[in-house]
Amino acid sequence: MPMVLLRCDKDIPEREKHIYLKAPDDDPKDFLPLANSPTIPGTLSERGCAFCGAKLVIGGVLKDTIQMIHGPIGCAYDTWHTKRYPSDNGNLQIKYVWSTDMKEPDIVFGGEKKLEKAMHEAFDEMPHLKRMILYTTCPTALIGDDVKAVTKRVMEARPDVDIFTVECPGFAGVSQSKGHHVLNIGWVNEKVGTIEPEITSEYTMNFIGDYNIQGDTFLLQQYWDALGIQVIAHFTGNANYDDLRGMHRAKLNVVNCARSAGYIANELKRKYGTPRLDIDSWGFNYTAEGIRKISTFFGIEEKGEALIASEYAKWKPKLDWYKARLKGAKMAIWTGGPRLWHWTKAVEDDLGVEVVAMSSKFGHEEDFEKVIARGREGTYYVNDPNELEFFEIINAIKPDVIFTGPRVGELVKKLHIPYVNGHGYHNGPYMGFEGFVNLARDMHNAVHNPLFNLARTDVRATPVVELKEAV
Amino acid sequence: MGCEIKPRVRVGVINPMYDCQPAGAQYAGIGIKDCIPLVHGGQGCCMFVRLLFAQHFKENFDIASSSLHEDAAVFGGRKRVEQAVQVMVQRYPNIRVIPIITTCSTEVIGDDIEGTITDINKWLTKGFPERKIHLIPVHTPSFQGSQVTGYNEFMTSTFKTIATKKTEPTGKLNVFPGWVNPGDVMLLKTYCQQMGVDATVFMDTENFDSPVLPDKSVESHGQTTVEDIENSSGAIGSIALARYEGAAAAEYLSQEHNVPCVVTPTPIGIKNTDELLKNIAELTGKPIPESLVRERGIALDALMDLAHMFFADKKVAIYGHPDLVIGLAEFCLELEMKPVLLLFGDDNSKPKKDKRIKALKERTDVDIEVVTNADLWELEKRVRDKTPEVDLILGHSKGRYIAIDANIPMVRVGFPTFDRAGLYRKPTIGYRGAMELGETIANALFTHMEYTKNKEWLLNVW
Repeated sequence: MPMVLLRCDKDIPEREKHIYLKAPDDDPKDFLPLANSPTIPGTLSERGCAFCGAKLVIGGVLKDTIQMIHGPIGCAYDTWHTKRYPSDNGNLQIKYVWSTDMKEPDIVFGGEKKLEKAMHEAFDEMPHLKRMILYTTCPTALIGDDVKAVTKRVMEARPDVDIFTVECPGFAGVSQSKGHHVLNIGWVNEKVGTIEPEITSEYTMNFIGDYNIQGDTFLLQQYWDALGIQVIAHFTGNANYDDLRGMHRAKLNVVNCARSAGYIANELKRKYGTPRLDIDSWGFNYTAEGIRKISTFFGIEEKGEALIASEYAKWKPKLDWYKARLKGAKMAIWTGGPRLWHWTKAVEDDLGVEVVAMSSKFGHEEDFEKVIARGREGTYYVNDPNELEFFEIINAIKPDVIFTGPRVGELVKKLHIPYVNGHGYHNGPYMGFEGFVNLARDMHNAVHNPLFNLARTDVRATPVVELKEAV
Repeated sequence: MGCEIKPRVRVGVINPMYDCQPAGAQYAGIGIKDCIPLVHGGQGCCMFVRLLFAQHFKENFDIASSSLHEDAAVFGGRKRVEQAVQVMVQRYPNIRVIPIITTCSTEVIGDDIEGTITDINKWLTKGFPERKIHLIPVHTPSFQGSQVTGYNEFMTSTFKTIATKKTEPTGKLNVFPGWVNPGDVMLLKTYCQQMGVDATVFMDTENFDSPVLPDKSVESHGQTTVEDIENSSGAIGSIALARYEGAAAAEYLSQEHNVPCVVTPTPIGIKNTDELLKNIAELTGKPIPESLVRERGIALDALMDLAHMFFADKKVAIYGHPDLVIGLAEFCLELEMKPVLLLFGDDNSKPKKDKRIKALKERTDVDIEVVTNADLWELEKRVRDKTPEVDLILGHSKGRYIAIDANIPMVRVGFPTFDRAGLYRKPTIGYRGAMELGETIANALFTHMEYTKNKEWLLNVW
């Protein structure tokens, strides 16, 4: 009975289709959790919206771009100061957010005029910025503002600026995944090929689906520099807007996060014939495998092997120190989707950690295919989980550490389980060799945090040691 | 001296000061016990607000979404609400209150929330006859007001829905503190206890600072019960501490159930706390006890060491909720500081007519500039261009980079304060709040003197 109906779900039996408990000899394709399907209202799902998938995850990472959000103030407020993606030019993308601050009269009479004014104003206020992404939200999509027409007018009036529009109202699709898709497809159709990048190496690639969380992009860039590979565009970690307009010139598209950015790699392949190479950039084995694949593609295998050898020499002893102390630890991964399949085998092979439960907010069925193929037996695989399910699964599997977001982290703390930030990391970066040592360190420090042992102790149950007076 | 009040002139916002209405409604909603607010809109409207609360309180709060998808956006979201309520009632056997909080999308679609509630109530009575579930319609379109008005709207709707009958006299005092921290609620409870006043705090958010316990129980939720709200109509009086955050609910109780209501100046600083205690004494007939006279004295003793030595003439910019900003400005004057720039973050026109602002002007010889409907870019530009020059910023964490980049000392106060540890536990109101806030300001200035090597030697002999 590999699909599971949890007790807490007895009144919403359709949840059985979303929860899989892997049994020996299962063909995962027979028991794939239903994914990317509508949320059951009132379940306390963890999902976000299409707007946040576009703005917060992908577009908002760009370090030189005005993020103009056409909607009421909350959409801007809520997608600001919630991500840990630095840049190398002063963190504009972390410090600022822009909103048209839609009010009732704008909703009644249309918001185009206000939008146009706000766009000009934004460029006037920060004249050094010449690039903008414009996002729609629930109400501005519902009232049907023609944002493309407004954008056209602003670009005509300001020849030195470039603006990209993303129509991503929060109600579109079933989760943030829809926003990823809209942004990917829009960008490749409207912006790729509008600039010719300067080519400085015979080896060129785009690195797709890495958002420079706590400096992931900076760390991986060291590898590409060592290999002499020019990264034309990072999609979108530490990237400039114009970098992404030159993506068509890369000889290879390397994809890390296939869920949020696989679409653009597919489109680049279709339109420009650029091959797509999927790698996992977390974990020692995977990073080495990724470097090997990329080096093989460019015919620079020796350089690749030399890089791997020097990185192993530097970091493997540190990793092994943690492995000895983490072996057998039980881990749960409650994140967005792809990190399930990126991490489950990496932590098992590199650190001896057993992943006993995994849940995905916005993964699709192909993500579950991947994770179930890589994951252990006896492990829960859950699509679009909710809070009561979390409680029940925790009781069943008793994890030692949970990789999840800060809010759920606060909840599981009360259950005496430490969390490590599976989205923004505790103290990353986590990608690459050095990064995985960071992940191991944070997991080690969480699992061995003495306060959690104290929390499990009831002071009233401690035998009182009687002090005898010295005779 | 002058007090100029003007609105932001730009149409757009760069770095907003407040979140939208549904966020404020959700904040008030989590203050009720056995209650899960249901946000009727896109999933982000609830998911990010839960994250925001978690950032501030380092706690998880339960809030549900009707998960509005495309079909509902086109054909209406009534079914989503019905299904959500059913799922919540079935899966949470202790749930007693479900506020239905609208958003921009569902207000634009025009979903009939009142009608939906009437229908749901019919099948709830039939399907769950042993349970009494209170559904509260809360209209908070994001394109009106802000989190401040959203909070107020939630409070009003809740009392109008639940406190419908005049109950027997309870002898209790209703306290409406506004959007405050658990540390403030604890302080209010202590003060009332010391005065011998049986008080009910709306909302009782003391447990927003909740423990890790050996039995793993999760207590991070509000403690205001349905009965507390019902019985508010039989109270001896109501005291509201924030004009724009919950006072409307106290006024409803006054109009509908003749519960005497006093809106006291937001009790930040010594004088405002004096007013609070006097008003409580007047409403309840209980004298101000010796213990509070002593606590007042301790606070004065501490602040007197700081005011004319360190605080005097320091120019301060203050932003945040109107009641908080006005209270802080008044406190600044008590400490001989100059609140030269006050910023409110929405288009609510009431605060600029607030008598307290006029009084500020009369109390001081500095020019005070008030910007309404302001964003944090407004503050950033002024700080950068020194128009006016400021020595200290008081505000919440969303403005942190203004202080960091301009290298100006900043004390976090208000909501949210996610970039400092444990602030939700510390009171801002009352004598102790005044003392602790004053000392935090002093320590921020001291640290700044040291980091900038600006007369840091003064502190050798202080």
